[in-house]
Amino acid sequence: MGIYIYRTLLQIVPVLFIITLIVFILVHVTGDPVAMMLPDTASAEDREILTQALGLDRPLYVQYYIFLSNLLQGDFGNSFRYGEAALPIVLERLPASFELAAASMLVACCIAIPFGIWSAVKRNSVFDLFISGVSVLGKAMPSFWVGIMLILIVAVQMGWTPVSGRGGFSYLILPAITLGTGIAAEMTRLVRSSMLEIIGQDYIRTARSKGLREMIVINKHALRNALIPVVTITGLQLTNLVGGSLVVETVFSWPGMGQLIVQAINSHDMAIVQASVFVIALMVILINLATDIAYRALDPRIKYNR
Amino acid sequence: MKQLRHISIVWFAFILIATGCSGGTSGSKEEGAQQEKVLTIGNTIDNVTFDIHNHGNTQTESIHVNIFEYLVKKDGDDPRKKLPGLAVSWERTDDLTWRFKLKEGVKFHNGDPFTAADVKFTLERVAKDKSLVDYSSYSNIDQVNVIDEFTVDVITKEPDPILLARLSRISSGILPAAYFEKVGVKGFMDDPVGTGPYKFSKWIKDDRIELVKNTDYHGEKPNWDRVVFRTIPESTTRISELLTGSIDIAVIIPPGDIQRVKDSGSTYYVDKESARVQSLLVRQTPGTVTENPKVREAIELAIDKKAVIDNVLGGAGVPTQEAIGPGILGHSPELFNTDIYNVERAKQLLAEAGYPDGVELTLSSPASTKEVAETLAAYLTEASFKVNLEILEQTQYKQRDNSNTFKELALQGKGNSMFEAPLQLEIFITENAAGQTDYSNKEVDELLKAAATNLNDEERAEQYERAQAILAQDRPRIFLYQNKFNYGVNNRIDFTPRTDEMFYADDIKLKEDE
Repeated sequence: MGIYIYRTLLQIVPVLFIITLIVFILVHVTGDPVAMMLPDTASAEDREILTQALGLDRPLYVQYYIFLSNLLQGDFGNSFRYGEAALPIVLERLPASFELAAASMLVACCIAIPFGIWSAVKRNSVFDLFISGVSVLGKAMPSFWVGIMLILIVAVQMGWTPVSGRGGFSYLILPAITLGTGIAAEMTRLVRSSMLEIIGQDYIRTARSKGLREMIVINKHALRNALIPVVTITGLQLTNLVGGSLVVETVFSWPGMGQLIVQAINSHDMAIVQASVFVIALMVILINLATDIAYRALDPRIKYNR
Repeated sequence: MKQLRHISIVWFAFILIATGCSGGTSGSKEEGAQQEKVLTIGNTIDNVTFDIHNHGNTQTESIHVNIFEYLVKKDGDDPRKKLPGLAVSWERTDDLTWRFKLKEGVKFHNGDPFTAADVKFTLERVAKDKSLVDYSSYSNIDQVNVIDEFTVDVITKEPDPILLARLSRISSGILPAAYFEKVGVKGFMDDPVGTGPYKFSKWIKDDRIELVKNTDYHGEKPNWDRVVFRTIPESTTRISELLTGSIDIAVIIPPGDIQRVKDSGSTYYVDKESARVQSLLVRQTPGTVTENPKVREAIELAIDKKAVIDNVLGGAGVPTQEAIGPGILGHSPELFNTDIYNVERAKQLLAEAGYPDGVELTLSSPASTKEVAETLAAYLTEASFKVNLEILEQTQYKQRDNSNTFKELALQGKGNSMFEAPLQLEIFITENAAGQTDYSNKEVDELLKAAATNLNDEERAEQYERAQAILAQDRPRIFLYQNKFNYGVNNRIDFTPRTDEMFYADDIKLKEDE
């Protein structure tokens, strides 16, 4: 296990290097930050002056070299938009995205695990069909639409929650439900199929033939094994969520990574895009590692040393 | 089950920690402090920066005008009329020198006294540092001389008839020289200081900026205890916030939502003509079909501008044939609010130009004006043009614009933060138009170059009016409509929009106070 963790951590360096290169090229070939910074009445001369002042007239490889040397000292450069160091701007968004990600995952797990198990246990019943139908529907509905509908019904019509922004617990409810139900739709189907596979196995039959109560068979013997794929998808979804839910954060004016990235891409704010992608990539690697470790906790037979 | 319980506990702890660490916002405070007078405004984008010299964004300026003050202030209805701000009087002492007498007894939010040294520092910083975004608007300022503690001379490189317009906008908010030099840009960004009626309190990026009343303000006592500017990019969300009373004013109401705001019972709708004019850039490069003046005229006659405004913009515009609107020196009333739509004449002109069966042309538009572009294409098709519609993402559009690679037509909006003609007319001077529209008219060149340094307003107005009359015939751009900008407002608020789109919090009142 130790070697596995060590090896994974070592892989981070080349992966991050390749990511910075790809993002650097993509940001530079897709547009000119100076054009986005200046007002629409700016002349060609104004653009040239600012391009030179920001060092954007140098060859691309020189700019990348400067960027990399600064990066090695932990400096992603200054945000064109905010005029401040990029990394602190990105890091200060993390708590908001973590908060939303955690709440959404909680909503997803609270829906998916019980309904998935129940659906598997009552296979082919009306309830199972109903859950399957709702899951397909949940997956098919785009999150921005769900978000806007929730705002119009729950916040505007009923007045039960605030419409948008970040504040106390009440501000978290609508965006967490919007994101959580989308994930739950996928997760419910996964829990169900995983559970079905497990309860068809011999050791479950043995447990039942011993005369154990169904409740104990399912909860004690089947659930633990059925959770392995669920942990995988939870890990993957978590990285997506923490990396910023671009659409939902914009709909709910949630000041997290998602909104930051959308704004940075729109304004070609190179340093913010680089720092955001770097932080997200790092998180993806670490969360994947944590997921692998969680597998091991759930199923001691899984070994990583070889 | 035990595992499941563990996972649930871990999640629950995680969310509690995350929620607890969030730093929160003013939600609870807002509920707890009901006695406070709070004004909340919903913008579409966040404050760009507190470095006032390093942006060109109107919504950001609309926040800043409450913190920083200009030497001269634009009138809300007539932006050319200048009112005293931090300067109590001003005069031009020669063609290159403007003398300003400053208000005495003014203090910055940190307690520093406001003096001529602060004016010198502020204006020379933006006029000399080429890396600042707003540099080009101030580069005509050569130096600022301190005559005494409350008198300054602003010396320009060339005679500058629009200096007062420069000094009443974005980068002219006076900064505290000593404090700025002490804390640097970074320190200033964290705790910006001005002389305005409201002081900076906090900024949660992409969420909100909060200002609090400056109890030591040198003018009338500020009207609100707190002013909050929220960032709500999604229009449905912004309007929902307005309808639930969480914000008092929402900017930019899309046409589809105007009726909702009018009918809600708790809100009302207001709009105002802006200085922004939407136009079709028309290439006159030899070899293009639009090189022929008859084709250009046919394009203008084929478009029912009024119908575009009514059906696509929900009425938020005025049809025009000129680059600048009312209130700007050089405005030509005979070219404004006109209706010259005539599809039959357009077809006839096209036939006369040698295209009886129509002609193919490409119309490029940014995605933000997709609906307008589609409607224009439909009108042009009716007049037997064959239109290739090219809808481009914003950055791609800007890149094409900067590299002058549009084909025959491109849909463009041009704003005017100074409310002065040069910003929207000097693009037609031969050197500036080269590669873009390739328009060239010697008389227009002479008129515009002479007007740029003409200190006689009467003559200058005539020069611009004459240039506009020629441009309306030559059509290097086909001007479509002057945009109106609009707001949804809570019934408890008395709000009259300003032409310059600024939110001076003290001009916005609670109806119950009146």
